[in-house]
Amino acid sequence: MIAPDWFREDRLPHIYCTGCGNGTVINCTLAAVEEMGWKRDETVFVSGIGCSSRAPGYILTDSLHTTHGRALAFATGVKMARPDFNVVVFTGDGDLAAIGGNHFIHACRRNVDMTVVCMNNHIYGMTGGQGSPTTPPGAISTTTPYGASEPAFDLAELAVAAGANYVARWTSYHVKELTKAVAAGMQTPGLAFIEVRTQCPTNYGRHNKLRSVPAMIEHLRSHAMLVEKRDRLVREGRPVPEDTFTVGELVRRNRPAMGVRR
Amino acid sequence: MKLVIDESRCKGCNLCVLVCPYGIFREGTELNSRGIVSPVLDRPERCTNCRLQALYGRMLCGVCHMICPDQAIAWVEERPFEPHRVEVEF
Ligand SMILES: Cc1ncc(C[n+]2csc(CCOP(=O)(O)OP(=O)(O)O)c2C)c(N)n1
Ligand code: SF4
Ligand code: SF4
Ligand code: SF4
Ligand SMILES: [Mg+2]
Repeated sequence: MIAPDWFREDRLPHIYCTGCGNGTVINCTLAAVEEMGWKRDETVFVSGIGCSSRAPGYILTDSLHTTHGRALAFATGVKMARPDFNVVVFTGDGDLAAIGGNHFIHACRRNVDMTVVCMNNHIYGMTGGQGSPTTPPGAISTTTPYGASEPAFDLAELAVAAGANYVARWTSYHVKELTKAVAAGMQTPGLAFIEVRTQCPTNYGRHNKLRSVPAMIEHLRSHAMLVEKRDRLVREGRPVPEDTFTVGELVRRNRPAMGVRR
Repeated sequence: MKLVIDESRCKGCNLCVLVCPYGIFREGTELNSRGIVSPVLDRPERCTNCRLQALYGRMLCGVCHMICPDQAIAWVEERPFEPHRVEVEF
C-alpha cells in the first residue's frame, strides 16, 4: 500500500463510488508527502465540503474539514498561526471555484505557503451532479439538462493570473507525473496549486456518454495536451484542437510569499 | 513477493486492467461475497515487482498500485516454497 504511515486504514474502504478518481489523487498526494519526508504531527490537511473534501478523513494527521468554500481561509489561518506546519488543502471544483472563488484568487495573490490540490471532476459530485464553474460547454448535468451554455473556468490559468508561485495540471490517469508535480509544489515556497482533472463516473460520466470508468479515464488521457506541445503548435502557427486542455507545469516562480517557514 | 488484490477493498472499477503494461489484470466475471466483480490475475509472477522489489528495495512500475482508487493492490511476502510456474519472456 502507498504511504502506509499516512493512511487511516481502519477507515478504508472509503465512501467514494466505484472508480472515483479521488482515491487516486489521495494516493499520489500521500506518495508526494512521503517523498518530502514530512513529520505527521507537523502536517495538517484542510478541506471544505464535497466528495473531494472528504479526503483528509482518510489520513492519519490532524485535519480540518471546514465549511463549503472556506478551506483556503481556514488553511491561511493555520499557516499564519503556525508557519512551521506543512499545510495541504484538498478541494473540489465547486468548493474552490464557485462558492470559494474569492478565497481562491486571494490566497493565490497572497501566495500563502501551502499546497492546494483541486480534484476537478467538472461537477458538484456530492449533491447529485449539478453544473459547476468548470462544467464544459455542452455537458449535461442536472442543472444543465440541455447542455451547459456557459464558458468554463480554467482553474490552473486562474491561479497563474492570480499570482501563485507554482501551478501545474494533470489528470488522475497521469499518476507518476501528478506525484512529481505535487512534490514540486510542496518544495516551492508560496502557494502551490495543482489541478487534477478527475473522473466522477456517477454524476458526470453517466450523463455524458462516459458510463464506464475506463472510458472516462481514456477521455481525460486523450484530451490532455502537454503545455510544451501546445506552445510548439502556437509557435508554428498550427491550430490547437479545441477540446483539449493543457497538462504539465504551467508556472514555477519566486514571488514574495506569506507564511513561509523561517 | 506476490501480487494480491485485497477483495475487502476492491470495488471492481477495472482501472488496473487498463494500465498494466503486461495485461496481468483481467476483467473478472464472478461476483465475490461483497457483490463485486474483482479482476482476476493472469500469471501475476510476470510483474517486475514480484521478482525485483526486494532486490531493488523500491517499487518498480507500480502504476496499478498508484491508480487503484481503493488502495486494494499490494505485494505480500510469499510463504516459503509456494509453487508457481516460471516463464521467461524475450
Ligand atoms: C454553504 C453551503 N452551500 C451549499 C452546500 C451544498 N453542497 C455540498 S457539496 C457541494 C458541491 C461540491 O462540489 P465540489 O466542490 O466540486 O465537490 P465534489 O463533490 O464534486 O468533489 C454543495 C453545493 C453546502 N454544503 N454548504
Ligand atoms: S459522486 Fe462522483 S465525485 Fe462523488 S464519490 Fe461518486 S464518483 Fe466520486
Ligand atoms: S506494477 Fe506494473 S507490471 Fe506490475 S502489475 Fe502493476 S501495472 Fe502491471
Ligand atoms: S483498480 Fe483497484 S479497485 Fe479497481 S478493479 Fe483494480 S484492484 Fe479493484
Ligand atoms: Mg466537483
